[in-house]
Amino acid sequence: MVQNGQITLYSSIYSPFSHRVQVALNQAKADYTDYVVNLSEKPAWFTEKVNPVGKIPAITYGGPKSAPENPPPESAKINESLVILEFLADLFPEAHLLPADPVLRAQARLFINIFETKVFEAFRNFFFTPDGSSTALLEGLEALQARLAPNGFALGEQWTNADSAVAPFLVRIDLMLKNDIGKFPQSEGLKVLEVYQGPKFARLTKYIEDIRESSLFKGTWDEKLNLEIFRNHPYTQRK
Amino acid sequence: MPESITLYSAKICPYAQRVEIALAEAKAQFKRYEIDLQNKPEWYAPKVNPASKVPAIAYGGPDVPPDQPSPESVKIAESLVLVEFVADLFPESGILPKDPVTRAKARFFIEGVSSKLIPAWYAYFLRNAPVEDFYSALEYLQGLLPAEGFAVGEFSIADIAIAPFLARTRLSLLNEIGKYPEGDGKKVWANITSGKFARIGKYAEDLFARESFKATFDEAYVTEAFQKRFAGVRNQ
Repeated sequence: MVQNGQITLYSSIYSPFSHRVQVALNQAKADYTDYVVNLSEKPAWFTEKVNPVGKIPAITYGGPKSAPENPPPESAKINESLVILEFLADLFPEAHLLPADPVLRAQARLFINIFETKVFEAFRNFFFTPDGSSTALLEGLEALQARLAPNGFALGEQWTNADSAVAPFLVRIDLMLKNDIGKFPQSEGLKVLEVYQGPKFARLTKYIEDIRESSLFKGTWDEKLNLEIFRNHPYTQRK
Repeated sequence: MPESITLYSAKICPYAQRVEIALAEAKAQFKRYEIDLQNKPEWYAPKVNPASKVPAIAYGGPDVPPDQPSPESVKIAESLVLVEFVADLFPESGILPKDPVTRAKARFFIEGVSSKLIPAWYAYFLRNAPVEDFYSALEYLQGLLPAEGFAVGEFSIADIAIAPFLARTRLSLLNEIGKYPEGDGKKVWANITSGKFARIGKYAEDLFARESFKATFDEAYVTEAFQKRFAGVRNQ
């Protein structure tokens, strides 16, 4: 299957969810436009013409290249970051966003499922609410780490959707823990940081290093900018 | 040619039925092993699924009895991952639409089932949460349905994801099983299959008429199992 028409991604610099899609689009070597939506002053055309739910990421696919405010009426509108990742894997099979082998595909999807069910809530609660549990966060990260291939990325040598789905969150967790950013009590953060940087999480921290070094991810992650964003983020302030 | 498949399942479980339907659509050869969820065999968690849940598949490896799983088989869990796995193993089954955009629609529908319908149903069924929340979730999914046929036209993984839940919703409501006031069940089922919900009522009928659904749903058994399992929920 070849790209048959334009692709426009509607993204936000604040969103790890749209970050997932940027990485996948890179891996696919898709020809696309990345349009940054101002979420605090959302334009009416976005809800009317792109995503009735008003959330990002959203992509439009098909038709001729157009101004982002005016997607081709015949274009497909696709929302939900994980749905988009599967869509890109289908649209660009030679890019191998998912492996060809059914067992490996299942393992990639299971890896994403572990992140969604064991890490995401714990991440959100620990950094963005005052009632987060460091135990839940560490247990979630441990469960994810247990699923990693012994070397390389989630499945081994090849970057897949499993990595695109998880990497944006892991680098943010890493950033916030190391810079004491979040609603957690500072002493809690230091305790977590100590365990996180210790031998128990050696495999995970190596994975995060490899993510950072990966050519697919590097260009999509501006660490300085994100440090600013999270330092000033309304939901990370300790008040 | 796919390798050997052993499915660990439970007739009561809607998640497990998803995989049973997928395997039936694929006309796959497989061994089926019933796990008693109230009395799990001690080998199940260590040898098949550490989360101790169904469904799970042991794929490949030597030919062994299901209750003696081999370390050489690959173990896979999570119903939606397993449905995609079956679709990948059996592309001729047709449960995965050919066109990427239609596939994306099917997966988007499934996302709605997972994030809206299932939590709203359990909240109503187990905690007597406001029924309006359940109605909203149904309205949302109904809005995604085409004028006729299945979720994306042809029968697909989207329908597989929802059918076992709608079936158990139906039997719970018609038998007044759940935490909501006794007598509300039949009214709610009537509400969600007629009038403004006529479209989803027709959709449910179409799902329940599907051969792969009928072959994998033992209504008498599941009704009795639900009555036993959820008998006390109204009095808690």
